[in-house]
Parts: sequence; structure tokens; C-alpha cells
Amino acid sequence: MNRSIGVTLNALGLYGIALVLVAAFAGQILLGELPCPLCLLQRVLFAMLAIGPILNIRFGPNPGHYALSLLAAVVGATVSARQILLHIMPRDPGYGSALLGYHYYTWAFIAFAAAIVLIAIVLLFDDRLPENKVARPIGLFASGAVWLVILYAPRMRL
Amino acid sequence: MEFAILFLCVLVAMAVSWRGSHRLALALFSMVLVASVATYLHHATDTLNLSF
Repeated sequence: MNRSIGVTLNALGLYGIALVLVAAFAGQILLGELPCPLCLLQRVLFAMLAIGPILNIRFGPNPGHYALSLLAAVVGATVSARQILLHIMPRDPGYGSALLGYHYYTWAFIAFAAAIVLIAIVLLFDDRLPENKVARPIGLFASGAVWLVILYAPRMRL
Repeated sequence: MEFAILFLCVLVAMAVSWRGSHRLALALFSMVLVASVATYLHHATDTLNLSF
């Protein structure tokens, strides 16, 4: 993947994040739904998700910048999962009104999970990652770890 | 109040990552991420009113 494609994908990601933040803000203003603390934290983390793409657009795509977005997405997914679990009991109507059947925090969890998957796919096709296709000599410590997993993985019958 | 400060910090981090130094942007990102996790943990044991 060359730099211009990477920059375009990052710009698309920023448009997506802006859309999420605008939708949340519109819901607050038009529907009069005041955000709860966990909702606010999710918005903070959506905004933090944007810092990686901003750095990618300015300085060029870099695995370190994608790592920043991954960290923000993991924390965001944790916070939104927590809010989903708060309303998981039967007869609980959830917090706020639903959009297309899901509440904002459920959509937030889906968006953070999608961001994690998309960033992983982009990293997979990043040319900057070094390709090591030639096998190198391996020490006893590392080969012991590999053999331990290979030998014991098939025995994991529950 | 704490959320207003968090939003302000994210705004500064985004502005720095767009116009400022790379190192400062990374430092601000780390700081805000730690602050967000701390805020989350601070409220993790709050009494929660179920909505039904």
C-alpha cells in the first residue's frame, strides 16, 4: 500500500469518526438526550481515535500511529461494553432512545470493534513493515516456546 | 467538569498532532488516554441506577 492510498484511507476514517461525533451531538441537541458519563467517555475516546489518522495524514502512515488508534479503540470498546452490560437485564429499556434497534453505546461498541479490525487489515497491507521471509537460526528459549505450544495445543480437549 | 477538561485535552492533543511537534502529540495522547482510563476506573464503583 503506497502513501496516497494510506492517506486516503485515514481521511475516510476521519470522516467516519466525524460522522459518529456529529450524530451523537445531533441526538443530544435535536432529541434532547443528555449524555451520561460513560457516553461522554465514549465520545472522548472517539475523538482520541482520530489522533492516529491525523498523525498519519501529516507525517505519513506509520505502524506507531495505528497503534495509538488501536489503544483508543480498545479502551473505547471496554467502556461501551461496560455500558451494554449495565443494561443487559431483562425488561431494561436501555439508556436513551434506540437508533435502528441499537442504543448509542451498542453502536459505539460496534464502531470501536470495526476500527480494531480495519486497523489490523490496514497494518497487514502496510509496506513499511519489514518482510522476513528468510528463516533465521532460533535460540533454545524461543524454539522451546514454539514446541511447547505445538505439542500441547492438540491436547486441549475440554 | 472532569469531562470538560478531558475534551479540552483531546482538543489540544488533536491540534498539536495537526500543527505541533510529533513528540508532544504522542505525550499528550498518552496523558489523555491514562486520564480517560483513570476517569473510567474512578466511576467504576459508583452506585448505578437501573433504568427499569
